[in-house]
Amino acid sequence: MVKKQIHPIIRLFLLLISIFVIFSGCSTDDNNANSTKALIQTNNPPPSTINGNEKDQKLVMDVKKKVMSKKEVYDVSVIKGEQDILVAYKVRHLKRFRMKKIEADLQKELEKEFPDEKFTISSDYKIFLESIRLQDKINNKQIPKEDLEKRLSEIIKLSNEKT
Amino acid sequence: MGKSKKKKSKTPEQQQYAQFEQKHEIKRPVVRNCVVAFLVGGTICVIGQAISYFYIYFFNFTEQTAGNPTVATLIFLSMLLTGFGVYDRIGQFAGAGSAVPVTGFGNAVISASIEHRTEGFVLGVGGNMFKLAGSVILFGVFSAFVVALIKTLIMKWVGV
Amino acid sequence: MLIGKQSWIFQSKPAIIATGVSGGPFEREGLLPEAFDILHDDLWMEEPSYEQAHRLLIEEAVEVALKKANLTNDDIQFIIAGDLINQITPTSFAARTLGIPYFGIFGACSTSMEGLALSAFIVNNKGANYIVTGAASHNAAAERQFRYPTEYGGQKPPTAQWTVTGAGFAIVSHSTPNQTEFPKITCATIGKVVDLGISDPFNMGGAMAPAAVDTIKTHLKDTGRKITDYDLIVTGDLGKIGYSVALDLLHGDGLNIPEEKFKDCGLLLYRDDQPVQAGASGAASSATVIYGHLLKQMKAGVYKKILCVATGALLSPLTVQQKETIPCIAHAVSIEMDS
Repeated sequence: MVKKQIHPIIRLFLLLISIFVIFSGCSTDDNNANSTKALIQTNNPPPSTINGNEKDQKLVMDVKKKVMSKKEVYDVSVIKGEQDILVAYKVRHLKRFRMKKIEADLQKELEKEFPDEKFTISSDYKIFLESIRLQDKINNKQIPKEDLEKRLSEIIKLSNEKT
Repeated sequence: MGKSKKKKSKTPEQQQYAQFEQKHEIKRPVVRNCVVAFLVGGTICVIGQAISYFYIYFFNFTEQTAGNPTVATLIFLSMLLTGFGVYDRIGQFAGAGSAVPVTGFGNAVISASIEHRTEGFVLGVGGNMFKLAGSVILFGVFSAFVVALIKTLIMKWVGV
Repeated sequence: MLIGKQSWIFQSKPAIIATGVSGGPFEREGLLPEAFDILHDDLWMEEPSYEQAHRLLIEEAVEVALKKANLTNDDIQFIIAGDLINQITPTSFAARTLGIPYFGIFGACSTSMEGLALSAFIVNNKGANYIVTGAASHNAAAERQFRYPTEYGGQKPPTAQWTVTGAGFAIVSHSTPNQTEFPKITCATIGKVVDLGISDPFNMGGAMAPAAVDTIKTHLKDTGRKITDYDLIVTGDLGKIGYSVALDLLHGDGLNIPEEKFKDCGLLLYRDDQPVQAGASGAASSATVIYGHLLKQMKAGVYKKILCVATGALLSPLTVQQKETIPCIAHAVSIEMDS
């Protein structure tokens, strides 16, 4: 009797699905409604600061307004820590061809407008996702400020990775 | 050193036979092949993008750095399919759709190394592994070099 | 005796007293599984490499033929055989096991009839009492050598053919006029190499058809026979394209043979739903179908007189890369049942 050839394919698919299911258990613990939406929809999150004082709040609002004024950008997340401001933005799909130019222009404009601040900007989905997760952590007032600062600097380091 | 080739033109009898034989040949279904290649190649790319998002979402990879594990995963899948004897059936169905993406490159290397296991690991597997993929690597690297050279020269002239 | 330009007539009409045919998994699922004495489940056949499995096919086919004829290896004077693999090593290694004096021949897929013609000539001229002759091929070993690794996902065009995994061997011996139960070899025509400029290795049928037609025409001229004298003319492995080209060429030359009387072994072996594109090919294509199926049909009375034309494409992977065309050859042997 010659064995049918279908079985290896079904076996393979079952193996793959079970691998994916197992690996999704390796996820980090800060998944909630906001982060699942992060990649798919326009979130429009309010800009946040880690230390929460009024001057900083106003500053980040201005930064957000400045970035949103660019028409290629459709979603921005701004987080200000002790020394850095992380600006994570999403570019409209067709305009992604000019990604590098947009990034250079944005960096120049922000440094001109707010010369005292140190900006880290990124159009990467991952950075955006992580900043959404960090904002949720900020809003959850239980977590101490040093941890939030550490997470922010980790995200900034991640955005500089090249390979 | 072989002589440079003088174009062997066909004799009239050969030309006549070639025309005659063409009428009997079953022609390749080019339109069907193109459409199927487009769909299958696109599907493989969609799967690759899904794997990429999987790595971005659940692990600590950015869009930039997720390329590496995505390609590794795709080649791993291509290895499983080649080893199970499924990839050649997909290849007969899809043609370029399964040969052009990185999974096709993986299949070329993996099928050659599976095949030559019987000649041992060093001369058999090692010596024959890049039988099909060797030209891809050679001409890929060479053309990247040429393009980079052209770009550098242009930037220098434009920059000045 | 030589007749005409390139044909032999065998006055003593050597007989094919037994045959042995072995095959692989694809042939098992094909149209003629009953033509095979031994069928294997997979291409490895419990050997460490495809080439050694290839050798095993040959050994098994010869052993079956010997058993059917009630002979031992020592009774056989010569073995005349070949295959497609480099330096015909599977056949040579099988000859080592069998211990029979060995003529290794290479005619690509026309090897079976080349061997049969030579065997009939030697037996007819009392050069031997018993000769074993045949041909073999193995799909994976041939793909590996001529084309790509077997698991490679390249797309084969609809003109490509599938190499048969199998071996077909026959024992040729003297016959007496009252031995009417064995098919007899009456005459044979040795082919010339014909090259009409086809260079696509995925379309060997189209390259081989002119060689088959040339040999058939020469055979009829040399022997003085008419094409209607034969109940069946069968070619070795022309496939769909080669078969329709050959039929057209024959009709164009005035040899109006009807389709029921002109068949191709490559089209008889596999079912339509098997992924063989244009049909079967390989040295075993003609050997297994002629020695396994057609001789049985002759004994059952379906055919009295058949002309077996095995066709071969004399290319190598190197000649293809060097952009050479494909020269082809065809040998014809006439097999008849005495009434």
